[in-house]
Amino acid sequence: MGRIWTMTAADLKQRIRDRSVIIFAIVVPLALMGILNLVVGGAEEGTKLEPMTVAASVPSGDDSATAIVSALEGIEGLSITVEEVDEEEARARADDGRATIGLLIPEGFGAGLRSGDGRDITVIEGDGAGLEGQVLTSVLTGTVDRFGAAMVASQAAIGLDVPPQEVAGIAQQVATSEPTLTLVDGKASDEQLSASGALVAGQAGLFLLFTVGFGVLSLNAERDQGTLPRLLSMPMRAGSVLISKGLVSFLLGIVATTVLLVIGGLMFGVDFGSLPAVGLLVLSVVTAATSLMFVIARVAKTAEQANIAQSIIAVTLGIAGGAFFPLAATGLLGTLLDLNPIAAFTRGLGITSGGGGVTDIGGPVLVMFGFAVVVGLLSRLVPNRGTSL
Amino acid sequence: MRAVLAVAGAELLRFLRDKSNIFFVFVFPMLLVFVLGSTFGGGGSQGGVRIVGEDGALRDALVAQLESQDLSADVTSEDDALEQVSRGRAAAALILPDGAESAYEDGDSTRLEIVPTSGTSGIAMRQQVATAVETVQLRSAEVEALTQRGAEASAAESALDAAEERVTVPGVQVRDVDDVAQAFSGVGQFEVGATSQLLLFVFLTSLAGAATLIQARRDGVIARSLSAPVRPGQVLLGQTTGRFAIAMFQGLYIMIATALLFDVSWGNPVLAVLILACFGAVAAGAAMLLGSLIDNEAAASGIGVGLGLVLAGLGGGMAPLEIFSDTLRKVAHITPHAWAYDAYAEIQRHQGGLVEILPQLGVLIAMAVVVLALGAWALRRSVERSL
Repeated sequence: MGRIWTMTAADLKQRIRDRSVIIFAIVVPLALMGILNLVVGGAEEGTKLEPMTVAASVPSGDDSATAIVSALEGIEGLSITVEEVDEEEARARADDGRATIGLLIPEGFGAGLRSGDGRDITVIEGDGAGLEGQVLTSVLTGTVDRFGAAMVASQAAIGLDVPPQEVAGIAQQVATSEPTLTLVDGKASDEQLSASGALVAGQAGLFLLFTVGFGVLSLNAERDQGTLPRLLSMPMRAGSVLISKGLVSFLLGIVATTVLLVIGGLMFGVDFGSLPAVGLLVLSVVTAATSLMFVIARVAKTAEQANIAQSIIAVTLGIAGGAFFPLAATGLLGTLLDLNPIAAFTRGLGITSGGGGVTDIGGPVLVMFGFAVVVGLLSRLVPNRGTSL
Repeated sequence: MRAVLAVAGAELLRFLRDKSNIFFVFVFPMLLVFVLGSTFGGGGSQGGVRIVGEDGALRDALVAQLESQDLSADVTSEDDALEQVSRGRAAAALILPDGAESAYEDGDSTRLEIVPTSGTSGIAMRQQVATAVETVQLRSAEVEALTQRGAEASAAESALDAAEERVTVPGVQVRDVDDVAQAFSGVGQFEVGATSQLLLFVFLTSLAGAATLIQARRDGVIARSLSAPVRPGQVLLGQTTGRFAIAMFQGLYIMIATALLFDVSWGNPVLAVLILACFGAVAAGAAMLLGSLIDNEAAASGIGVGLGLVLAGLGGGMAPLEIFSDTLRKVAHITPHAWAYDAYAEIQRHQGGLVEILPQLGVLIAMAVVVLALGAWALRRSVERSL
């Protein structure tokens, strides 16, 4: 055991002196997190909708048009202010973002409903629209559909020879009908990271796959430089060399990922939740990443080949794991994406940040340790072309 | 001149023989253009709605109504729907309880469960689903109003169908005057992604190649070249031209491959190559500067990749500049990427010509002159030091 520690400590000292490990494991990911957070952080999700303003041009004396505006103001749970202005002003306010949307109800809207010649209303979504604009458009569509249904029913009544004095009542009845289908709100557990949290987790996962290479993949470099045969001639088991290289990867991975999560979390105000659970996730993902390096070390003939294979695997798994943007898929592709240890790591952090503890992250942890076991076995089975260990 | 071209040719050949480049230069950019185009190019829904419930008229009506609102609606199991909502892969789940279908047929009251995802996209989707649910029951309200006045249900149905044919139903027209939406109107699915990847990879490939300059110095290749009957200036110019050739090769490859594979339109080809040449010259100069100022290959490679990614992120090489805030967009223009991005946007999307892109080209050329001069000076100094 003493020999293993001596080799591990010597390797770690060497790696820390080599500036590239600091650059790749800490500096580059932090810089990327900062830049990407500046770029996409503006799209950070809130937990409630902003108050909305509608700049509406409403024809005077049109009861149906007025009813549309009143319907907007009466929606429960949404803060909507309607400001009645002329058409030009409604367009201008939507355009420059002073209003969430502009609403143009045409002259003769109500008369059109009565005569069966319905006229479209126009919604202008400008710079300030966003999700709130979509909500307002949806509400308006529902209201106009209701008016349309009332119009169709009254026209059908005329076709059925319903007495004319009852036709208006039919339209009124449809327009104000009590719904038979009602919605009740259910709740699902929250397993999502914020946009900044996803960036921090994804970048930490991506660069972990580079960081762990500084340990195990130095086997190939040592072979190229001729120091590996020298090491193997020492009075110790060959396995000790392998274990010490694995330990270097593991320790560098743990330190780098922890530093990235802590600094990234502080920089962008992300709380990843329960410390023991996050610790278990870091442990699992570093184990999975290290196991992968043993396969590369065996398959690659030279250090250069090993670095190429590592880079390809790192960027592929990193991007598939959501290091730059969330990648969602369903079906077989979705399952395949879920088996990626980086994706499992990000998912696990989503669960912990939503309040989950150690018992809630069984799935992701199982994926990462399962990955480590399978890949670890694979590393003993694949043909040994590289390190002769 | 022949000596310069020979040195540059050797540099390009070395670059092409490097096996790692097969993936990173040829495959990876195309993969990213494809993934980005497929993920974000299609208009970007917010994950859609997952519907749970037995097969029937209500479920079909809800799916059709949600789709008519431009939302994706997929039928799935309850566990799957809730998991997807928890993970943010769906914006909401709509659960139809047992018996909902028969209650709908009979016109009885039913309560449907809506489970929105956390955050504002869930709140927005909840409202959209509420609109859909409200709309699907309008038909039964219509029939009921007519039957209450003595019409047979079947007669009411046919009268409603006939009325729908006869009248013009009012609707909602949406006009999007958002600057971002305007900037991208009429843009192909892969175009913005292809421009971003072009800028990212031309600069990244050039900077990552800075390490070969250090290698050439360390292994004595430059010293050996200087012992041949060529002037030091020619060797330096050859190295610079080599870096420039690598940048142009990467850029032209992405342009041609994306045009062929993804039908990306690069606008006027002469102007597109001109922008690339100006941008490539900045990249070549930056690579020379990096390769000359640093003596450690591994560190140069790390800084090169890091700087390549960070500058691309800031300059529109990872996300479109149009979505940046005004301040950040100003800051972005310290990078050559942002100027080249603007120039490409001008010729690709706004039918701009040479005159319209002259300001951007001017800035790029000025940047190129500065970094190339600094790079040549630094390289000369480092070569002299290594001799």
